[in-house]
Parts: sequence; structure tokens; C-alpha cells
Amino acid sequence: MQNMDYKYIEQLLERYWNSQTTLEEEAILKAFFCQDDIPASLLPYKPLFAYAKAEEENVLGDDFDARMEALIGEPVTVKAKVVTLRQRMMPLFKAAAVVAIILTLGNASQMAFNEEGDEMPAAVAVTPKVHNGPSVAMGDSVKMDTLKKTVAVSAILK
Amino acid sequence: MKIVSFRNDVLPLKNVLFRLALRITMNKEEAEDVVQDTLMKVWDRRDTLQDIDSIEAFSLTICRNIALDKTKRSSWREESLDQDTLEPRATSMATPYQRTEQRDMLEMVKRIVDGLPEKQKTCMQLRDFEGKSYKDIAEVLSISEEQVKVNIYRARQAVKQKFNENAEYGL
Repeated sequence: MQNMDYKYIEQLLERYWNSQTTLEEEAILKAFFCQDDIPASLLPYKPLFAYAKAEEENVLGDDFDARMEALIGEPVTVKAKVVTLRQRMMPLFKAAAVVAIILTLGNASQMAFNEEGDEMPAAVAVTPKVHNGPSVAMGDSVKMDTLKKTVAVSAILK
Repeated sequence: MKIVSFRNDVLPLKNVLFRLALRITMNKEEAEDVVQDTLMKVWDRRDTLQDIDSIEAFSLTICRNIALDKTKRSSWREESLDQDTLEPRATSMATPYQRTEQRDMLEMVKRIVDGLPEKQKTCMQLRDFEGKSYKDIAEVLSISEEQVKVNIYRARQAVKQKFNENAEYGL
């Protein structure tokens, strides 16, 4: 079983030298050679792949980040000025938009109020008729009252 | 519209860029300067980054060009001066490798890779150490994928041959 594994690795290695391996196969080789127990026949190639692993340790520290962000800090404001030409106008546009909205809304509501105001005379025009009503009713009730009176009077007279 | 953030999109590339710059300049301080210049340049052009597919490939291209410029300029110096500065560098580079018995071998591999022609070692750096695809490497170097394959093939063959030679001498 192990021998078969090594044969596979040997084949991969051969294909690696001929640049026929895929990235996945190269990752398998790297992982294999990072192990501790490697057969003597393959051991000489270990440093080649161990080097690839060691190479990952070549990194820049946090002090570089701090320095870089301090450097970038300035260009950000300088760059912001270029953008401000448009950005500075943005609040104005926003204000103009708000004013426009308020004006349209105000106009619309005014129109609505005005329409209601136009209707008022019509409503008022109806009311006199209503006023006429009660007087008619009153007249009716007066008649009723007089009828009641005559009935009452006749009752008393009886 | 995607907003490019320095901290999240540009700064994380520093280590990949640093290793490539180090491979080309073979000097830690210079490589650090190259990365700094690269990041500044990329950041200055962040308005155009939205149209670029891979910020990483774009940054690597810039990094390689700056590193090549730097090495060209420093190669004007006397060779003896270069040799003087190369030795302490080699020892300072060796310190991260903890295992002493492996250190010499890794140092040897490093010297072999560093000794390759620039195109070959750049291709090898991106493929074998950074795990980039042929397509990505082709984009970084502005050459065809076929040329990338040829460069990697030559680099691996050269490393294998030199490595075997050195190992024989060592034994």
C-alpha cells in the first residue's frame, strides 16, 4: 500500500519536472514532502518542497502596515479634494431636491385646499334649503299644535 | 459600484508582493521599498481598479516592474560592493528557518532559484511558491500561457540539475 503511494508520488514528481502537473497535484507533492517519514529514495527532493513551505514565512510585519497606512492617510485627503468637486455639490443638490419636493407638496396641498374652498359655497348654497326645511316643519308642527289645541279645547268643551 | 478599500483590498497583497520583490531584488530592504511603492501606486490608481479583474495580478505586474527598475539601477554599482552586501543578507535570510540541519539545504535551494534568469524565477515564484495558475502568471508578465509553461519547465529543469549536482558534491 505504501509502495503504491510512493509510486504515485514518483510519477507526480516526474510530471512535475516536465511541467505537466496541475496546481492540485503540486499541492499534493508539497504536502507529501512536508511529512516527517519520507522514503530514502525521495528524501533528496525534500528540501525543494520544504523550501516552498519556508518561503511562506517571508512576510512583512505589522510595523509595515502602520507605516503604509500613515503614508496612505495623506493621499486619502488629497484624493478626496478631487472628488469633492462633485461631492461638495451633492448637499446643494439634495437641498434643491428637498426644496423642490416641499414646493410641489405645498402646491399640491394648496390646490387641494383651494378645491375644498371652492366647494364651500355649494355647501353653503344648500344650507338655506335646510333652513327652509325647519320652518316648513315648524309650520307643520304649528298646524299640529293648533290641531292638538282644537282637539284639546273640544275635549275640554265636552 | 465596488469601493476599493486600502486595508481590505490592497494591503493584504503585501506578502505576495514582498516575496516576488525579494526574489527579484534579493534584498530585504529594497524589496520592502518596492512593496511600499507598489501599494502607493495601486492606491493612487484605485479609481480605475473597479474595471480591473484582478487587483492582485495588476499589483504583481507593477511590483515586478518597480523591482526590475530597482535592480537595474543598483546593478550600476560595483560588483565587489554587491558581493559584500550579499553575504550578510544570506545569513539574515536564514534565521527564519528553525531547523539547523535543513537550513543549509534550504539555503542552497534559495541560491539556485535566485540564480535563475529573472523571467524563469518570477514564473517559478508565482507558480511553485504562490500557487498561481498559468493564466494568472501570463497576465502578470504580459506573455502567453505557453511562454509561462516554457519558463517554468526550464526553471524546474535547471533547479533539478543544479540541485542534483550540489547534492553530489555535498556527499
